[in-house]
Amino acid sequence: MMHCTIDDLLAVKENEASAWAKQHLETCSACRAELDALYQRIAALKALPVRRPARDRWPAVRAELRVEQRRRQRRWGAWSLSAAAGIALLLWIRPGPGGRVDAAELERVKQQSATLEAELERYDPDARVTSGRTAALAAALEDRIAVIDGELAQVGTPQAPVRRAELVKLWQERVDAMQQLMTVHVTRAAYVGL
Amino acid sequence: MTLSLAVPDILVARARSGDLEALEALYRAFETPVYNLALRMLRTPEDAEDVLQETFLEVVRSIKQYRGEGHLWGWIKRIAASKALMRIRRNQVRATEQFDEEAVGVQVGHAEGARGHEGPGAVAGAPARIDLERAFERLSETSRSVVWLHDVEGYTHEEIAEQMGKTVSFSKSQLARAHARLRRMLDAEGAAR
Repeated sequence: MMHCTIDDLLAVKENEASAWAKQHLETCSACRAELDALYQRIAALKALPVRRPARDRWPAVRAELRVEQRRRQRRWGAWSLSAAAGIALLLWIRPGPGGRVDAAELERVKQQSATLEAELERYDPDARVTSGRTAALAAALEDRIAVIDGELAQVGTPQAPVRRAELVKLWQERVDAMQQLMTVHVTRAAYVGL
Repeated sequence: MTLSLAVPDILVARARSGDLEALEALYRAFETPVYNLALRMLRTPEDAEDVLQETFLEVVRSIKQYRGEGHLWGWIKRIAASKALMRIRRNQVRATEQFDEEAVGVQVGHAEGARGHEGPGAVAGAPARIDLERAFERLSETSRSVVWLHDVEGYTHEEIAEQMGKTVSFSKSQLARAHARLRRMLDAEGAAR
């Protein structure tokens, strides 16, 4: 005697049963029992206890959100400071004896900074899960970069005229911080000394 | 166990404006159902916690797109299921089935002796909860996901197929296969007592 398969019984549950399965169930107590067992199994699955996370993940979520927020601010800041600094430099910097050397060095560290920024973008840390510690380290570095960006935005203004050598130093600090940030994301902040 | 998943509209509005306290309140309201869903679909609590974190990051990034159509839990659940399925795809390299796959179409009745089912008495009564939970945990992540999404969360096969990037028949056959395996495991457990 042919009996219902699991597919037949699931189709009955979905009101998609074949005419044969419907007819068979009317006469076969074993298959009716199987159908009851299926319903009971599903009811028991629904009644399984609700499991709760052992650890609170909100601090990690919040830390990542702050990192993202700072990154957005930094991107905007980097764009605006580069425009502002460009104008200011035209107005305030005068070539000195070592001006040519400083200008080349300045261009080099700025290029290095842009490359690191692009690498970080490609790495896409926002799309990765990080621990609370990693997120906190990243946040501290993001803060440091934001401070440097703030200083860079100020230089070359009438209140803070600057020499190229000082600019090179600031940009180099920015590059160092970005390299550390990259290391934090790539190595999950194992050995970064902040 | 039933959880209250209703949240006031004003809280959602504050969360949409980026209010961190409101976002935390949303997290507190949904952390348990999201974690529970992820844990039922995945193998380890660590994976489930990672999905919980990924889900809320996505919720925060996307909440401005939530238009209030349908229950908020339905929207968050969809994100959580999607994140869990992404993790399953990543885990599949190392995932192994714990049991041999048998033909899905095998008859569940008694005549062919495929399982040694003895008639109505042998299946009467709900399986003990711990037995079912243990048996469920021994299914593959894909099977668990289909069973949980379909039988517990009420997803249709069409919705599951769409979220998994598979066909409706894949979803149906996974469900049938999983139920056949659950039944066998529960029978074996019952017989061992």
